[in-house]
Amino acid sequence: MSELKVGVLSCSGEECLGGTISRLATRKILEELKFVKTVTLCLPLYLAGGEEERNFAKVFPTISVDGCDKLCAKRSTEKYSGKISGSIDVSKIIGIENALNTKIIRNKDLKDEHLEMVDKVASEIVKEIGRISPDSYSGKSFGGCGCGSE
Amino acid sequence: MDKKIKVIPCSGIGKVFGLLARESVLKTVLELCPEKSETICLAYIVSGDEAVNEKIAKTRCITVDGCPKMCASKNVALAGGIVIEEIKVLDTVKEHKGKNFGSATHLDADGEVVVNEIAEKIAIIINEIN
Repeated sequence: MSELKVGVLSCSGEECLGGTISRLATRKILEELKFVKTVTLCLPLYLAGGEEERNFAKVFPTISVDGCDKLCAKRSTEKYSGKISGSIDVSKIIGIENALNTKIIRNKDLKDEHLEMVDKVASEIVKEIGRISPDSYSGKSFGGCGCGSE
Repeated sequence: MDKKIKVIPCSGIGKVFGLLARESVLKTVLELCPEKSETICLAYIVSGDEAVNEKIAKTRCITVDGCPKMCASKNVALAGGIVIEEIKVLDTVKEHKGKNFGSATHLDADGEVVVNEIAEKIAIIINEIN
């Protein structure tokens, strides 16, 4: 029996806290969400990988998770892969000042307040997934990338 | 030419090696060599924005990759950056066989050891250049 799957793609931006929160919230969804199976892809594989990676958003209804309003994950997915089914701008959830914090980026520096931001963003991702029509959930297989992100 | 060396990790999201790459680079640019190095979001480079292409073109870059797909190195080169050193996380990981580094979400103590070693390697390269 094929499983229902939704793609969640994080920008994982390295320059600011928003990228760290986007990455951790996406990881939380991948590890903990139960009502639908989620898969991800390393964003840079759109260019460094092959056709299979570039088909990601065509195979899976995909939610982009971006740390700031540059929306790199959303724009890159729509540029290289296909239309996304929903998007999250972390800066709108945790505030621009927090998202653009360039001092606290490393996981080890995160405090309880930052982990609460992760939870808040994760719950917004869940809401966004909930807005996707179940009819569009993919049961197709996907080989995934070298880092084994599926 | 911008004097600061750009240090760019893959930040791969599927396995611990991507997190090791990410944390190694952040330790380098935030703690070890903040005056001589900086990072640029790889996702921004992937987006192909004119602004980021201008920022990275003909700039010296060190890339840090967690898997053989070499996403950071390939994307930086495609954007016109000069990759002066390709760091492979697995080269350092191989020296710590049997250890538990953690997950793609969280690093264990052995993962932090690897991060420190890779960051030191990057810092040596940066200090030799500048």
